[in-house]
Amino acid sequence: MSEPKRLHPIAVVLNILKSIKELVVPFVLVVIIPGRNEGIPGWIQPLVITVIVLFLIVLAFVQWFRFTYRIEDGEFRIESGVIVRKKRYIKLDRIHSIDISEGIIQRLFQLVKVNIETAGGAQADAVLSAISKSDAERINALINAEKNLKANDSVGKVKDEWDSGEEVVSASAVYEQTLPQLIFMAATSGAVGVFLSGAIAFILQFDEIIPFDRIFKNYEDFLGMGTVILTSFAIMGLLAVYALATLSMVMKYASFTVLKTEEELIISRGLLEKRQLTIPVQKIQGIRIVENWVRRPLGFSTVYLEYAGGSVEDKESLTIMLFPFIKKKHLHEKLGGILPAYQTITEMTPIPKRAISRYILRKMIYIIPIIVVLSWFFRPWGFLSLLLLPLGLFWAYMQYKDAGWSVDGDLLLLSSHLFSKQTLIMQRSRIQSISYKKSWFQSRKELATMSASIKSGVRSRVGLVVDVEEKDCRTIESWYLPKKTVDSQ
Amino acid sequence: MEPENRISNKALTVWKISGLIGCSITWVIGIALLVLTIVFNWSYWMIGVLIIFSIIQAYLTIFLMPGVKWKRWRYEVRNTEIDIQSGIFVIKRTLIPMIRVQHVETKQGPLLRKHDLASVEISTAATMHVIPALDLDEADELRRYISRMASVEEEDV
Repeated sequence: MSEPKRLHPIAVVLNILKSIKELVVPFVLVVIIPGRNEGIPGWIQPLVITVIVLFLIVLAFVQWFRFTYRIEDGEFRIESGVIVRKKRYIKLDRIHSIDISEGIIQRLFQLVKVNIETAGGAQADAVLSAISKSDAERINALINAEKNLKANDSVGKVKDEWDSGEEVVSASAVYEQTLPQLIFMAATSGAVGVFLSGAIAFILQFDEIIPFDRIFKNYEDFLGMGTVILTSFAIMGLLAVYALATLSMVMKYASFTVLKTEEELIISRGLLEKRQLTIPVQKIQGIRIVENWVRRPLGFSTVYLEYAGGSVEDKESLTIMLFPFIKKKHLHEKLGGILPAYQTITEMTPIPKRAISRYILRKMIYIIPIIVVLSWFFRPWGFLSLLLLPLGLFWAYMQYKDAGWSVDGDLLLLSSHLFSKQTLIMQRSRIQSISYKKSWFQSRKELATMSASIKSGVRSRVGLVVDVEEKDCRTIESWYLPKKTVDSQ
Repeated sequence: MEPENRISNKALTVWKISGLIGCSITWVIGIALLVLTIVFNWSYWMIGVLIIFSIIQAYLTIFLMPGVKWKRWRYEVRNTEIDIQSGIFVIKRTLIPMIRVQHVETKQGPLLRKHDLASVEISTAATMHVIPALDLDEADELRRYISRMASVEEEDV
């Protein structure tokens, strides 16, 4: 594979789509929002758009033409760039993992997209947007061969593996999401929030274009329909958005499977756009269990992997679900099959009772001014804001109840609640640093805020518990420190 | 048992100077605003707010905070871990095991250089910690010591 290769020509289309995606926002800002400009001849706008589109097509083609990749001298070499020529050489043994995904366009042409990931950090990674499956497999095999070479330090042996191509992996599905689970998961995902805000933004942007006038003849008609009909319209709209959001989650997480090989977890998912992530187990830094307020009463939770890898360009590689939807009481057993190192009792030491007043105070500090302002300026409806009071109290109480920690062998568990309950489980050897801080008010009550950082994605994930007993911070500290501290300096 | 070492007491001067620089930026903005207010006949309440703000800023950043900060700042580098305490109103205590340290560097801005100081930056895979304003020799020594101790035990991220 030392001769430079190009991507499949369909990459031109992908390039065009990508630049259109990037241009949507500026396009909306410049063309649609200002509306019609008087004084500029009508033909100017179409002309400008045509020129831009032509330019994009040419650019995409040249981009494709200039993009070559090859494997040479133990390096993966990519040369690209239209005006600025870029050469990106990645040492094969530096490559952590290879992600293979298939978008709709790739699937039509039996192609795959390959993401080559190195250790998370400053180095950018390589993306091959469209290559044939056999090429992807050859790259994979070459990289694995190189890694084995480094591992075994024997030169001759690997030559044979070169031609044998595919590495035989003995993998068995350790977790498969069932259809009801998938649907429940999608329905309780909260994706509707994202969709709703998107829909509102869309309507606000395009209310000049969408012919509301023609739909409702005129405004009076619309109002004449009465409150009942208007309300049912609104509810139907909401339901439609909700259904859409749920459907998109179903498509995204359909046929979710976790495979385990000796050293890797292979997570695959997706209906139209398939995605496969390969995660070396030794790069896993911790797990995070999230229970949002819809799933929690039903006893379900989502488990994420905190993993040192992924790239900034590919946002989805930064938050990785291990179990999208799992009954909390099955978690222990399921985790045992996949990551036995993280199997722990989730029973935790709660924070002391005297912390509850601080939790309530922290809510009241901003809720009371809001209530005062609303009640003062918007009488009588502003008095409704008094409802915030019990809500705030409830929220504070939940946050208090969900805060806690535990140390179990080599595992540290920190649990807290911001909007949903979040439990971070970390191995001692993966914690990069711990700290605790106390304000004057906290130290009066002998409380402190405990935090521990692990590496996650390109940055870090910090587990944080507010108002832990100060003594307990010391306990965690002495658990964390290497045991030979006594004979220091 | 607080960490035993303090940072250089020249840090006080440096922090006061940088507080002064911050204040002078506020003053420059204030003067510009005053000129604009007179020229365009704006109302004077903005100037009033800015004056009050700059007085508070000057008191905090030049007189109060450097002293408190210096008193709080302590560090200790032991064989197996680095222990840092910092903070003004909230006291923060951080522990970094030596084996987690990925690299150490010393850094010197113009202000620190003038006073023969340097800050030491300790990076782990996920976090970065800074010990500000140590005497240059001490900082260099610390950097050498930490990097030597850190390389004793190698472990994956």
